[in-house]
Amino acid sequence: MPSTEAPTAPPAAPPARPTPRRRRRGPGAAPYVLIVPALAVLLAGLGYPLFWQAVTSLQEFGLAQQFGQPPTFVGLDNYARIFSDERLWAVVVRSILFCLVNAFATVGIGVLLALLMKAVHPAIRIVLQIGLLLAWAMPMVAAVTVWKWLFDWRTGVINWVLVQMGFDRYEGHTWLAQPLSFFFVATVIIVWMSVPFVALSVYAALTQVSDEVLEAARIDGAGPTRIFWHITLPLVRPVLSIVLLLQIIWDLRVFAQIRLLQDAGAPVSETNLLGNFIFELGIGRQDFAGAAAVSIFVLALTVLISWPYVRNLLKEDA
Amino acid sequence: MKIVRIAAAGAAVALALTACSSGDDGGSSGSDGTAEAADITLWLAGADTPDELRDYLKTTFEEENPGSTLTIEEQDWNDLVTKLTTALPDENNTPDVVEIGNTQSPTFTTIGAFRDLTPLYDELGGDDLLPSFVEVGQADGKNYALPYYFGSRYMFYRPDVWSAAGVEKPTTLAEFGDAVTALNNGTQSGFAIGGQDWRNGISWVFANGGELATEDGGEWTSTLSDPNTITGLEQWQAVYEGASNVPATERDVAYWDFLNDGTDGAAPAAATIMAPGWARWSIGDLTTNDDGEEVRDGMADTSKFGIFALPGTDGGLAPVFAGGSNIAISAKSQHPELSENLLRIIFSEEYQTMLGENGLGPANAQYVDSLGDDEFATTMIETAAASKLTPAAPGWAAVEAAFVYEELFQAIAEGGDVTALAAEYDERITPMLNGS
Repeated sequence: MPSTEAPTAPPAAPPARPTPRRRRRGPGAAPYVLIVPALAVLLAGLGYPLFWQAVTSLQEFGLAQQFGQPPTFVGLDNYARIFSDERLWAVVVRSILFCLVNAFATVGIGVLLALLMKAVHPAIRIVLQIGLLLAWAMPMVAAVTVWKWLFDWRTGVINWVLVQMGFDRYEGHTWLAQPLSFFFVATVIIVWMSVPFVALSVYAALTQVSDEVLEAARIDGAGPTRIFWHITLPLVRPVLSIVLLLQIIWDLRVFAQIRLLQDAGAPVSETNLLGNFIFELGIGRQDFAGAAAVSIFVLALTVLISWPYVRNLLKEDA
Repeated sequence: MKIVRIAAAGAAVALALTACSSGDDGGSSGSDGTAEAADITLWLAGADTPDELRDYLKTTFEEENPGSTLTIEEQDWNDLVTKLTTALPDENNTPDVVEIGNTQSPTFTTIGAFRDLTPLYDELGGDDLLPSFVEVGQADGKNYALPYYFGSRYMFYRPDVWSAAGVEKPTTLAEFGDAVTALNNGTQSGFAIGGQDWRNGISWVFANGGELATEDGGEWTSTLSDPNTITGLEQWQAVYEGASNVPATERDVAYWDFLNDGTDGAAPAAATIMAPGWARWSIGDLTTNDDGEEVRDGMADTSKFGIFALPGTDGGLAPVFAGGSNIAISAKSQHPELSENLLRIIFSEEYQTMLGENGLGPANAQYVDSLGDDEFATTMIETAAASKLTPAAPGWAAVEAAFVYEELFQAIAEGGDVTALAAEYDERITPMLNGS
């Protein structure tokens, strides 16, 4: 309550009152009403599948149950079975590494592109932005198919260019045959697909950095590198952390790109990530309970990995 | 700013939750017309059944069943098992009649997903129906899935390349291996085959009298370590290493491209390939069809393009893996009588003949003549008669879905020790076959 004004003009208080009171009461009810539709959608869209997932992970649920046999409750048997499977841990380690490499590469390249957009002539910037938007808008299956053709061992452009440049050992080179070069190709594709989002978001943030601050820094004798690390970066940090968090979550659940690349001929079990592992377990082997258990585990893993970020975001508000 | 942050955190949580739930929601069941009481749905897999046959099924079904209609929906081969898994148990969304890959049948016949067709068996053709396909569609002595059509695979080769190298057409499997190894010059494969391509590779196992798995009292055992199977796998390993320049990780390659002349008349990439019969229409010299499109002429020039059946170990024919599919009625179908009427049309002489005329092997042996009597038809019939199927184990679809055989064959193609690999994979595959 604005108690400071009370002693100076007690009789004039009534007309001024409604405003502060409305300000106080407003936050009381309106946000909760406004958040109801979002919560309802979350509960209906995510709550039910999550509930089903949790229940299924505690049952014996295979193809026979899908076709009407009543499932039996087995407690944590599915978890015990899944966690004692060494293949799961190989997939987990692979997925986390892949996710981190991709997320940081995407954000790094995205920031560089955003800085480039800030620095170049507006006409060139428009060209860059259109290019990024086209890459962003490309349907995923079409994009992966084109990348598959580029890296084809027999007719691919990449091998042809490398051979033309004098690297004869790339004649007929199979990029997808070794897990390491398979993941290199997958990383190229995924980074290519997600950089536009990061670049455009960070560019938007950069435009909000006020010129006065930058000018002041320049006058004080700071070089471009120092300005970037000590002025620009701290100012766009909130955007960067959100974008990085989203990338980590997205890259941890990458599935279709890997699946499509595997279809082009690859050592499948050595290139499975978590999403592919769950798909193979649930859809391929009809072990729905096991797949549900791994899914719950991935949920926990995602929360664990992203928790520091979420906590930071919340702390900045306090 | 505070609200924005909270919203962002909320969005992040929502995304984290979706990260979890995206795992098992693959393939929601296709919505089909359930409104009309007398509209039935037929799921066909892939584009294998030509439009002419689909139209025939529709018009004939609607003529014979006044007031009823037939809806044909095409499903992708890759998603078929997934979609059947979600759609068949749901009586409101289940297709009435479904085509299913022959080796996928046991997954569904063993859990009661299909209607018992035993009472119809004799009426639909009985013992004239292709035995190996009938067998794969049986469970507990009852017929749940019947053959729809069969395909077969044989060798396509370049007679000009073979004769220029002075290599004769082989009469035994060993001669075939020697011939294609001699034809391999490093850039042109004697026999182009990818390392993971087990559907072609298992012909060598079958030819040597080997089995992939055997059943005893309902228990399946993977038998890769059987001496005959090992002999076959080692023979295949030698053929791959000696004759093929295709990488060990490749499978389901468009081999027919390898047999055609390269750009500007360059030499073909392979002297021999193994492919299903319909590959013929992707092979030959370039020509222009009635619509002005550039197409292959279907191997018109017999001095350049020819076929032969893969020979067996001591002459005769090697048993190759038979392609093709079965057909079944969903146990949850709301219109079983109409569905059975549709099967009666499919197994009628007219429809069986139409299948044959379109190059699909008719399920009923009486109408196999409709395939014609040229080299392609006779080779197809001969190889189909000698063909074999993969084990009819309930977990076979799981073995395929996990790409286990692809990995095994890749490891063999990379020069691995066959005996050790066979033991390792037997241990992996046996529990999968029994569905655990």
